[in-house]
Amino acid sequence: MNSKLGWLLALLLIAPITNVMAQAEAPYREFDPMEDYLPHVKGDLRLSGSYKHWKDPKNLDWRMAGNPDENWKLNWKFMDPPFNASVHGGHFALDRGETIFKELNVKGRFAACLGARKGNLKGLRAAYPMYRPELKQVAGLEEMIERCAAKAGRVLQNGSYDNSAVSLYIANQSVGMPIKINVTSAGPLQAAYERGRKLFHTRAGRFNLACSSCHTYQIGLHLRGTVVTSPYGDVAHYPVYRTRYQLQSLHLRFAECNLDTRTQPLLPGSRPYTDIEVFLTGLTNGYPVSVPSERD
Amino acid sequence: MRTGNKFFGLTTFIVGSLLAMAASGSDLPADFAANPAAVNMTQQPKVVVNSGLLEWQPFSRDLTLWPSLSYDDKRPTPKPRLVKLEEPLNGDPARGRELAMARDKGYCIVCHELPGEVWAGTVGALLLKFKQHNYPNELVFQQIFDSRAFNPISVMPPYGTFGILNEQEIRDLVAYLQSLE
Repeated sequence: MNSKLGWLLALLLIAPITNVMAQAEAPYREFDPMEDYLPHVKGDLRLSGSYKHWKDPKNLDWRMAGNPDENWKLNWKFMDPPFNASVHGGHFALDRGETIFKELNVKGRFAACLGARKGNLKGLRAAYPMYRPELKQVAGLEEMIERCAAKAGRVLQNGSYDNSAVSLYIANQSVGMPIKINVTSAGPLQAAYERGRKLFHTRAGRFNLACSSCHTYQIGLHLRGTVVTSPYGDVAHYPVYRTRYQLQSLHLRFAECNLDTRTQPLLPGSRPYTDIEVFLTGLTNGYPVSVPSERD
Repeated sequence: MRTGNKFFGLTTFIVGSLLAMAASGSDLPADFAANPAAVNMTQQPKVVVNSGLLEWQPFSRDLTLWPSLSYDDKRPTPKPRLVKLEEPLNGDPARGRELAMARDKGYCIVCHELPGEVWAGTVGALLLKFKQHNYPNELVFQQIFDSRAFNPISVMPPYGTFGILNEQEIRDLVAYLQSLE
């Protein structure tokens, strides 16, 4: 009798566990072959080879910039300062960002919350995304701006114009400084880099495409009027002024990429987008922060 | 005609299953940019100058039906399908050309060069004078329906398996390609 009861109890206990195990099993997904990326901008020399044309942002070949068949080789860096000296919407956003930052940082708490040492913003942008112990997770600069502004009682939603304007102002304090995040030492940032790398190769959406389907394996080829560019060195100019989006943060760019490839977009600051940001920032290591910039 | 109905039934079944999976809005992952109350749940961001709020507007299509990059999205990708085309083809080349150019249908010119299109893509194979290859209809049909049957890492969307084109539309496209001399 007792043994029967024991069996019954054991079955009752095991049933939900096996159910959970069945749910936890990863669904069938498809992946592009995982390219061996170098977490430094010069890794592009192994991928598309275009880096040699844009590694010196001051001295780009203006003839290539004006040629629609060649400008992809400059990775559109001719729209970044100092090569691009024109005044555009990014400069207005910079002024707006400075105003908001100074309003929030009267007592210096906002800068401290973002991780600035002694209130000095120099180099802060080049070190993001970073692991934030208080959140126990990796966070991008825009996510931290939203959180720290909320502490001061101001709503600056991730992806909003004002949030990106503050991010742009902070980035502007690091202009010319090479992006430097450590994704090779074991830790949360390296784990996020690896997750981002996997996501970059994960097929999704109505067309079953991954980021890498084009940006690793079709660089330099035409998709109608546009030419696919390298993923290396691409995060250095965000947030960026664009005519259609005004000021566009990197995560809003991911949402646009998703919509273009008919994949459900995610919210700015979501874990997958943050992981892809870490991956792409790793591929931009060594390239200078270039703001305020513009793109078509 | 009979097989046509069978294939159409298959496509309807696949899309129907996808719809059923996404039918209840409450099951959507929390990080989806989606409004469960809307007809097209997918939302796109709109940046408002000098505002701390991000606006969301309805997107023209509902993309919640297909697997996404969210970690909470546990839906599987539809697996590669091997299909058998039964002759006669019964495709309309003129309709096929329309489908190849249409943004909401084949939109083949994004990647492939076709006659009469100046801004064609170069990612895919050249399709000019396609007839010269003498590919069997069945092979071309399978390539459009689900090219993963030939190449597991093909970047060509599986038009049939993912319900982007129905069986007759793929027949029309095959007829159009086979008519390119």
